Amino acid sequence: MERNRLQRILRAAWPRVVAIGILLGIWQLLVVVGVQSPGGEPLPGPGDAIAEIGYLVHTDVIVPALVQTLERAAIGYLLALVLGTLIGLAVVRVPVLRAGVGSLLAGLQSLPSVVWVPIATLFLAIGGQIENAVYFVVIMGAFPSIAMGLMSSYDNIPPLTFSLARSMGARGPRYYRHFIFSATLPGYVAGMKQAWAFSWRSLMAAELIIGSTASSGLGQILDNGRSLGDLPEMFAALLTILVVGIAVNDLVFAPLERGLLRRRGLVPA
Amino acid sequence: MNVALAPRPSVVTLEADPFVTLNGVTKVFGHGKRAMTALEDMSLEMARGEFVCVLGASGCGKSTLLSLIAGLDKVTSGAIEIADGRPAVMFQEPALLPWLTVRRNVELPMRLHNLDPDQRNQTANRLLSMVGLIDFADHRPHQLSGGMRQRCALARALAQDSELLLMDEPFAALDALTRDSLHDDLNRIWQETGKTIIFVTHNVREAVRLGDRVMLMTPRPGRVAQIWDVDIVRPRELDSFEVSGLAHEITAQLRAGAVIDGAK
Repeated sequence: MERNRLQRILRAAWPRVVAIGILLGIWQLLVVVGVQSPGGEPLPGPGDAIAEIGYLVHTDVIVPALVQTLERAAIGYLLALVLGTLIGLAVVRVPVLRAGVGSLLAGLQSLPSVVWVPIATLFLAIGGQIENAVYFVVIMGAFPSIAMGLMSSYDNIPPLTFSLARSMGARGPRYYRHFIFSATLPGYVAGMKQAWAFSWRSLMAAELIIGSTASSGLGQILDNGRSLGDLPEMFAALLTILVVGIAVNDLVFAPLERGLLRRRGLVPA
Repeated sequence: MNVALAPRPSVVTLEADPFVTLNGVTKVFGHGKRAMTALEDMSLEMARGEFVCVLGASGCGKSTLLSLIAGLDKVTSGAIEIADGRPAVMFQEPALLPWLTVRRNVELPMRLHNLDPDQRNQTANRLLSMVGLIDFADHRPHQLSGGMRQRCALARALAQDSELLLMDEPFAALDALTRDSLHDDLNRIWQETGKTIIFVTHNVREAVRLGDRVMLMTPRPGRVAQIWDVDIVRPRELDSFEVSGLAHEITAQLRAGAVIDGAK
């Protein structure tokens, strides 16, 4: 029993382990070849970056930064989720909105959220209060994916489902509950997953550029490393940002989506 | 032996108060020069508990007729009257909701009409036993075979508790063996429940095997070509002498219609 379970985990994990191994291998190769910064500093290897993470944990730098960043990510993401859901529902329900807002959403989605940083800094980060500016950038980066996910999954509902609902006389809240919400759920969750990626990268852009010494997150550690020419610190921050992004996707959104699709027979069990 | 081969006039008055009445039903799609008449002046009266099969080649407007009766579309002129309630519809595809189990799919119409859970559960059990799916109540649609999915769709249509059941080529996509066993079951369920059924098909033998009457439609525009009474003793077998004989006659008529249509 235990052994089988272990085998199953190993079988699921090995492609990932190999991919990470190849990535680390290439990185290490660049180190061995002797890549340097123009200032003559050698490129730190994966080992150096991991050791630096250990040092930053030990000196109580990275954990508070991580907590700070995750808190911003969570709040910004939830606000984007609420806004995106409301806009998505409005667009689905009101045909006039859909023509105008539909294409606008697609445009917003393709806009790199970093372009909101200067505006947010000017209007919202007043007197060193950077949090509002950070949330604004995260929301602008993430909400179009949520709204688009909802909208496109509504468009993909088979016409027969609507005929069925009508032939059963489904109306009002019950119609939305039993037909529309359930039918759009997979697309909505796919939108949520994509919105996570967008909000995480928007947050990093915001932290890097808006950065202040008052409240530092992972982005500030990265920027700190750059301004001090501390290459290991930069790579330690980079590695941490990458790992958090992957972990949230793999531990939260991917299982949610997979479970949903499996129950509906859309992926092999 | 009691085989009626003689055609009857296309308007049949069965009783003083018919259950379903089609009166000069006409359906035109589009406007002006692009207008296409799908159905023209169709009239029919059906008694409560009657099983009528609507037969025709594909594109003759029989599905249009069904969606008009279902209230999914509006007539251009003429009238459709149903003595009570909203008809239940069974489509060619099972149209099961993939996020619900078999039981929950069957319970769906009852949820929409706010039945209490006990009653829902009892009715679902009864209907699932009736269609032979009680052991699959907790499966999801994707885990079922094509025939089982249609059984589930049938149970769901019955759960709507409507007197009138509309069936739009529900067994067309199934293999012959599965279809045959569904015919048996549908015949039995119809006799047990006393539903009034309008069954659309392009399969002549299927129509003869199931219907009290078979209504043949001509294509473009859809009209009533001819109506046959099927007085063959039930349960009928697909390859019995009587079923084959009447099917043969209707097929000849269907071919003649197709030739006329092709010559136009």
